[in-house]
Amino acid sequence: MIRKIDKKKWYSFKLFLYVLPFIVLVLLFSYYPLYGWLYAFYDYRPPRPFSEAEFVGLKWFKSLVENPVKVAQLWQVLKNTFVMSGITLGTSWLPMIFAVFLNEIRCVPFRKFVQTVTTLPNFISWVLVYSVAFSLFNSTGMMNTLLMNLGIIKEPVLFLQSADNVWLTQWLWLTWKNLGWAAIMYIAAISSIDDELFQAAKVDGATRMQSIRYITIPSLLPTFFVLLMMNIGNFLSNGMEQYYVFQNAFNKEYIQVLDLYVYNLAMGSGSYSVSVALSMLKSVVSVLLLVGANAVSKFTRGESFL
Amino acid sequence: MKKRVLATVLATVLMASTVLSGCGSDGQKETNAGSEEPAQEEDTGEGDSTQEDTAETQEEEGEASAASAVSHDEELTLEVYDVASNYQGLQSGWYGKILKDKFNLVLNIIAPQVAGDGEALYQTRTAAGNLGDIVLLDNADMLECVDVGLIADISAEIGNYPNLMKYQEQIEKFNAGIGDGIWAIPTEMNSNGPTAYMAETVSSLPRIPWDFYSELGKPELNNLDDLLNVLKDMQDAHPANEAGDKAYGMTLWKDWDGTSIENVNQLTKWYGQEVNGSVLIGADNSITPLTDKEGAYYKMLKFFFKANQLGIVDPDSATQDWNATCDKMKQKRTYLVWNNWMQGFTNSPEIGEKGANYMGMPLKDMTVFQTSDYYYGSGRVFGIGSQVSDENRARILEFFDWLASPEGLTIQHIGTEGIIYTVNDDGTYTLTEDGYNRFTSEIQIPEDQGGGNWTDGENKINQWIVAGIEMNPVTGETYSSDLWASYLEKNNTKTTKEWREKYGAQNEVEYLKNNGMMEPVPSINMSLAIDTTDIGLIRSQCKTIVCDTSWKAIFAADEAAFDVLWDDMVSQLEGFGWNDLVAFDTEKYQPIIDARKAAQ
Repeated sequence: MIRKIDKKKWYSFKLFLYVLPFIVLVLLFSYYPLYGWLYAFYDYRPPRPFSEAEFVGLKWFKSLVENPVKVAQLWQVLKNTFVMSGITLGTSWLPMIFAVFLNEIRCVPFRKFVQTVTTLPNFISWVLVYSVAFSLFNSTGMMNTLLMNLGIIKEPVLFLQSADNVWLTQWLWLTWKNLGWAAIMYIAAISSIDDELFQAAKVDGATRMQSIRYITIPSLLPTFFVLLMMNIGNFLSNGMEQYYVFQNAFNKEYIQVLDLYVYNLAMGSGSYSVSVALSMLKSVVSVLLLVGANAVSKFTRGESFL
Repeated sequence: MKKRVLATVLATVLMASTVLSGCGSDGQKETNAGSEEPAQEEDTGEGDSTQEDTAETQEEEGEASAASAVSHDEELTLEVYDVASNYQGLQSGWYGKILKDKFNLVLNIIAPQVAGDGEALYQTRTAAGNLGDIVLLDNADMLECVDVGLIADISAEIGNYPNLMKYQEQIEKFNAGIGDGIWAIPTEMNSNGPTAYMAETVSSLPRIPWDFYSELGKPELNNLDDLLNVLKDMQDAHPANEAGDKAYGMTLWKDWDGTSIENVNQLTKWYGQEVNGSVLIGADNSITPLTDKEGAYYKMLKFFFKANQLGIVDPDSATQDWNATCDKMKQKRTYLVWNNWMQGFTNSPEIGEKGANYMGMPLKDMTVFQTSDYYYGSGRVFGIGSQVSDENRARILEFFDWLASPEGLTIQHIGTEGIIYTVNDDGTYTLTEDGYNRFTSEIQIPEDQGGGNWTDGENKINQWIVAGIEMNPVTGETYSSDLWASYLEKNNTKTTKEWREKYGAQNEVEYLKNNGMMEPVPSINMSLAIDTTDIGLIRSQCKTIVCDTSWKAIFAADEAAFDVLWDDMVSQLEGFGWNDLVAFDTEKYQPIIDARKAAQ
């Protein structure tokens, strides 16, 4: 009996050792950085070391919202974040549809070609994307030269300096970069659908559109919802690289999302304490959003993810 | 099975230890930094012994770790954190070769101006506890860095360096403001006294191509509107340069912006005010907020706005950097420049002989703000990182001393003998043909002297301990070629003659002085109050608002939009604590005003 327990214990311990490296990683890279939250409660300003910084309590949290102008700016930043994330979420079905249609292409070389071409931009860094955008759209870029030579405009149009439609154009850049990559998950999901279903549908006389509508898409929905849920968790972190490279004095008001705001505040000005305070708020809101989405999912679909 | 477990455990331990050791390393670096100040050489470099003498005595004494006894056997790469540089990377070319041959030094320049986000670079490097081996900082930053122990105290050694000791008064005066010791060496010093202004040009004045101006019949320039009209007419007559590239009345750049747009800041000097943070300091010793609608910042911002309305502002202005702008100046693609050193890119004796040099054009309603020569220093200072070893510190000091020596200064301000200048019979220097054109065309350097072209290989530190207007004891003339007899004679070109004829004065400084349009204010170099965290936060948030709004205002659709932007900016600024910032800056700069009044 004792031997049996020992064996079982030993077995559990072995399993524990298998996961230990990952636990260590999570602790190191996800929990250890939380120690940095301390900065939000101190008056830290380089080059003075943190050990000499003065404890100030909730001062920085209060200073974020101490008057209407600051609240208005924070509000604008949140609005930008919500709108841009909202657009991305609202169009998150695009990769799915793209994958479905891609899958319907019968000519295999063409399908592979399209897939490669759409996936490739994902591997281009935002800095390079911006330099492409810059050479296309600056005052002496391809677009302006073309339009001027065609006689459509007389003076160059400053596309990148304009704040018009900046949310739309940013979404277009993002989609151009991500569409093919995001579709990969769905393509994999499609290939795992039982072929018998399609054959049965065909025998029953279903058209292509019908089998897409009644077989492919319903089979993809679970994948879609999992990804949607993950996106909601990341709602506030819509990345800063893209907006960082595209920002300038003219569009900053509409392009400055929360992550970029935190960065600009901390790195541009050494106000580390304030930006830590701000990013703490962000974590709290993110957790709330995720829990909310989970509750909605539980209520509507009977499944939860937490 | 056992083996696998063991492997997993080992792998885990290994991984954890690498990660942890990675985190801990820079802590150790800091600990061996500030300790062990070398106090040994108090009894060495006494008397008037020159550098070589002390070097010899040191060698005789053997292993003493004192000033000049430095070995150049090992190549030393120094990180230079340099707020003045427009270049990032290793110093190469002819100047790099001189340093390599002479001192076996390689300079790795870190340039916040080039890095894009200079403030961030400063913050991260200082937070890490190592800014650089050699640092060149603005006064206030230096004060902060000394305060937290990032800068080495060189009071014990500096006495051994005769060329630096020539400026003992200035160095001590500046460091007295920091504390008991010597940490910083001011830049651009001279020995002509605190109120002298020697140059023939003022730092900022409208400068336009004389040939195009002549073409227009040399119309009177009474005010900014006249200037705009002239620029507009020039652009209409010459929409492109000779190579066919589009040219504009003016072109701006954004990478020098601080609390406000630097291009506007430079132009405020035309109307008697200088921008310092959030306030305007007047030639009349007044201090007013930057946002004063009667002030020069508003006036000159509007000047750029009006220019854009006329279509004479380069559309690339808000996106290009200084290097792109500089190329445009060299290629005559912009018809207005302002700082006197910009004429280096637009002018040369040949161009002048064609009547096409850019010339300073005083507007009738101007009162120019001009500080006297930087006797006490320019507001930037050199220092040595406290983490630098004693041995390397001696090598850096030796390098600094050379930078302040006649040989070093000639190389920094002029270039090398044979290529850039030749020595006359009477010992004075004359620029060679290449020397005259060194800023405007590509001068090739022979392979044995470093190769490449002259501009690429020039001193990328871009700041001098001693100014060009200092007398060179070897020649009896200034280091800077602008005031050499041979240069003045050669530069007595068609352009200059015609300019003199029109304005009835030898040069712009004389004209401005004669007409009561300028009275140099004494230049003061002192360390001022450092921002507290609160002020720092306010400053940074206001900075973004001022710069962003200013750029938007220049490109505003119409006057109403301009006014709306300005008013919005003012009310936003108030919300972010602008008034506190102005109060802080007013108090911060008051000592300068007091010192100026005392010196006048």
